[in-house]
Amino acid sequence: MPALYSRLEDLLSKHPEAGQVNNTLIDPVIIANDIRKKYEDIDAVNGISFQVRRGEIFGMLGPNGAGKTTTVEILEGMRNADSGEAVIDGINVKKDPTAVKSIIGVQLQQNAFFDNLKLSEIVGMYAQLYETKVDPIEVLSRVGLEGRKNSKYAQLSGGQKQRLSIAVALVNDPVILFLDEPTTGLDPQARRQVWALVKKIRDDGATIVLTTHYMEEAEELCDRIAVIESGKIIAIDTPNALIDQLLATGFKPEKRLREATLDDVFLNLTGRDLRD
Amino acid sequence: MKIYLALTVVSMKMYFRNRQALFWALFFPLLVMLIFGMMNFNGYNAPSVGVHDEAKSEASRNLIKALQGDEEEVLKVSIGTPEEILHDLEFGESRAAIIIPKNYGVPGELAVLQVTYDERYTQERAVISTVLKQVTDGLFKEYAAVPDEYLVENSINVNESLIQGQGQGFKGWLIPGIAAMAIMQTGLFTVVFSLVRFKSQGVLRRLKATPIGAAHFLAGQLTTKAIVVVIQTYVLIIVGAVALGVSVNTGRLGAWFDLTILALLGGALFIAMGLAISGWAKSEETAAPMANVISMPMMFLSGVFFPLSVMPEWLTRWSQYLPLTYLADGMRAITVEGATVITLGNELIGLTVWIIVVFAIATKTFRWE
Repeated sequence: MPALYSRLEDLLSKHPEAGQVNNTLIDPVIIANDIRKKYEDIDAVNGISFQVRRGEIFGMLGPNGAGKTTTVEILEGMRNADSGEAVIDGINVKKDPTAVKSIIGVQLQQNAFFDNLKLSEIVGMYAQLYETKVDPIEVLSRVGLEGRKNSKYAQLSGGQKQRLSIAVALVNDPVILFLDEPTTGLDPQARRQVWALVKKIRDDGATIVLTTHYMEEAEELCDRIAVIESGKIIAIDTPNALIDQLLATGFKPEKRLREATLDDVFLNLTGRDLRD
Repeated sequence: MKIYLALTVVSMKMYFRNRQALFWALFFPLLVMLIFGMMNFNGYNAPSVGVHDEAKSEASRNLIKALQGDEEEVLKVSIGTPEEILHDLEFGESRAAIIIPKNYGVPGELAVLQVTYDERYTQERAVISTVLKQVTDGLFKEYAAVPDEYLVENSINVNESLIQGQGQGFKGWLIPGIAAMAIMQTGLFTVVFSLVRFKSQGVLRRLKATPIGAAHFLAGQLTTKAIVVVIQTYVLIIVGAVALGVSVNTGRLGAWFDLTILALLGGALFIAMGLAISGWAKSEETAAPMANVISMPMMFLSGVFFPLSVMPEWLTRWSQYLPLTYLADGMRAITVEGATVITLGNELIGLTVWIIVVFAIATKTFRWE
């Protein structure tokens, strides 16, 4: 059976759409079922349902205030839904949020760490909050920050800060890593480095849920994406399938795409090396 | 010219909308000015005396009234048991202890007023002695309605004695007072500046995403502050005693234990107060000035720098219930007056009540997000 299972997994990863039957996956690691959340009179999340496959990078796209962060926070056990059900790796979030928190890694949009601790001390402190012991240097080396183990948070560049917050999210070797806008405010070089890091973490076996405003990022990283608008999912599929669906409607881009983008120009001029 | 005027108006608006600047520019100096003004350093300060009235007759009540003076306060009289008034005298809170005998005012008997002074305060002693003489003299003539040649000495006698007070004067007053004030500052500003910043920066939110959560982290923070408060108290008292040449009651090993308990109670109280303030203030920018508004008046009204007796009575009637008053009085009782935690009555009760009240407010107002 395990052999058959891994073969199936293998097949699924090559043909993501094959595992989907009416939007239901085989062995989903996240199940969100009709989640609703109201703030005063505003429906922040208005009946969201989706599933995330083990080992994929799942993107959540949508304008500001669409309900992405609220949805993610409900999955993380940081916020209670008014109704609906969220199951993370077989654990009902509402029933046992602590168990969920112990198997997920979280990187929040706004990250702040203590200014007066060294990076290695920050990582060590977070490991204690998961009641595990880690080698802080090893964790930092996973995000390429081992050389800055004695630096303070305030001394880091934007990209380094973001990588530190990912490192901190990795201390418990999470089954699922939640990244909330991981590259917002980063320069193109740093952004690409974070992308490489995210792919590496996925290749090491974690499932990743990320929110972003950058379509390029979604296209580059995500196996599947959900587009959220006004608290509802209005589209969910692989990036390629969504593009194909749009083209099938006879859509033509306003400006014909050239072979290179301005991003490529910038990177070609300034180099791909990181500046931190 | 027009532009200049418009810009000035805008700048004035910006300034006067900045509450914090206004506070430091106007309110705070005013407060300090008023408080020090009320202390009346150069006017006549009525010496305080403790009185024990055994007679409890009309005559003795009239004597007490006369000692206090009519329009202007002559002596600051506090009534108490012989033990209490002698204790106050011994530890510098009053300048004389007067015991009115049972037979005071009884015709035909010789009443002997027992008056004890602290030998260190000769000026006050002279004042009190003169006042006593005049008052008893006057009252005797009024009551007895006897011929002038009938001498007062035949009916009322004043028996004076001296003791060597143990209080350490102003310095002995100041050291435990400042130590109490420091506990307040650490407690309040720890919370206002670190915890509130953690809150507004989202650090606490990030901690909430871990299975252990923010509670343990905060417990660790509070433990640290508790240790800081105790160390701070020890250092201030030792350094104060050595640098200012005051002998404190810390030769007794148990006194350090008592001080630790008091410091921890004070720390708990003011950390909770910081939480209550910051929960109410919502942001770091408003929490800090608010903490100042609360701590500054307490600094002056709680007998940290000066005994409450230099302040008007309508003020001390309220300020004796301030949390810092209880803490400062308790620390002073232990360091210079030889009390122990067990013999502290009012101070412990006062602190406990405040802790309960403030914790209740804090749990209502403080939010982690």
